Amino acid sequence: MTQRWAEDVKPGDELPPLVKHASRAQLFLFSAATHNPHRIHYDRDYARLEGHDDILVHGPLQGAWLHQLVQGFAGPRGRVLALSFQNRGRAFPERDLVFRGRVAAVDGDVVTLEVWEEDETGAVLMPGSARVRLPRR
Amino acid sequence: MSLIPPETRALVGQRLGAPVTATLHAEDAARFAYAAGDTNPLYLDEAAARAAGYRTRLVPPAFLVWAFEPPRPLASLRDDGLWRDAGPPLRLGVSRVLYAGEEWEYLAPVHAGDTLTAATRLAALEEKTGSTGPFVLLTTETTYANQAGEVVALVRGKRIAR
Repeated sequence: MTQRWAEDVKPGDELPPLVKHASRAQLFLFSAATHNPHRIHYDRDYARLEGHDDILVHGPLQGAWLHQLVQGFAGPRGRVLALSFQNRGRAFPERDLVFRGRVAAVDGDVVTLEVWEEDETGAVLMPGSARVRLPRR
Repeated sequence: MSLIPPETRALVGQRLGAPVTATLHAEDAARFAYAAGDTNPLYLDEAAARAAGYRTRLVPPAFLVWAFEPPRPLASLRDDGLWRDAGPPLRLGVSRVLYAGEEWEYLAPVHAGDTLTAATRLAALEEKTGSTGPFVLLTTETTYANQAGEVVALVRGKRIAR
């Protein structure tokens, strides 16, 4: 893993996007790892009864992906200080979900990020913000 | 008519249940990381975690919540697959609860093997009106303290009940 340094970051910088394309098996494993038996994440007939076209990607899994985006930006010696996000739209498996971010502000070693998740149409599903502390060279 | 009964509103600011203690097992944390497709070596590789200055592997931050899931019998399942006792024990005039988001603050690293105590309080209940009608925005706040008594993380969890 490459390290990102505080000196190299400036407002407006874009984070490398993180693209996720969840299989149904991955959603099943995430349900298992979180001890979550909610049928909406594995039973398409049931999901349709609740008015969804397909099973849904777990909100907390999308939150975990935002964490992955931000820790990936911070690098092994960077520290994630805060991360907030709002669940705005539904995410489905077997489609691209893109996690993006941009540097909003830099205050010494502390970098504030605007982060969000988009679906394949570009609609924002999960907007949020984060703060990370980066090491100096 | 309010969706929030007075006895529920009176709980704002109060503890929701007793604090819960759990050990964050490295294998469970790694299972979570793999299930999320997050192969960051900080969570999976002892040597990489040490090289980054940590005494051992970290746990994925998003895993914290899930280390506290209690074992439950099948009789606790509802028809929709949710656990009967999932979510805060609150009586509201609405019953469908949706995940609305989280606000995390990380105050110190959380290592695999740490034993954390989670204490949750009801931070806020707000009655609002959206495109689908009235709803309640419910905010809980959970603090996580490690075995040394140090608060390592704090999360405000948001749910919509409608």
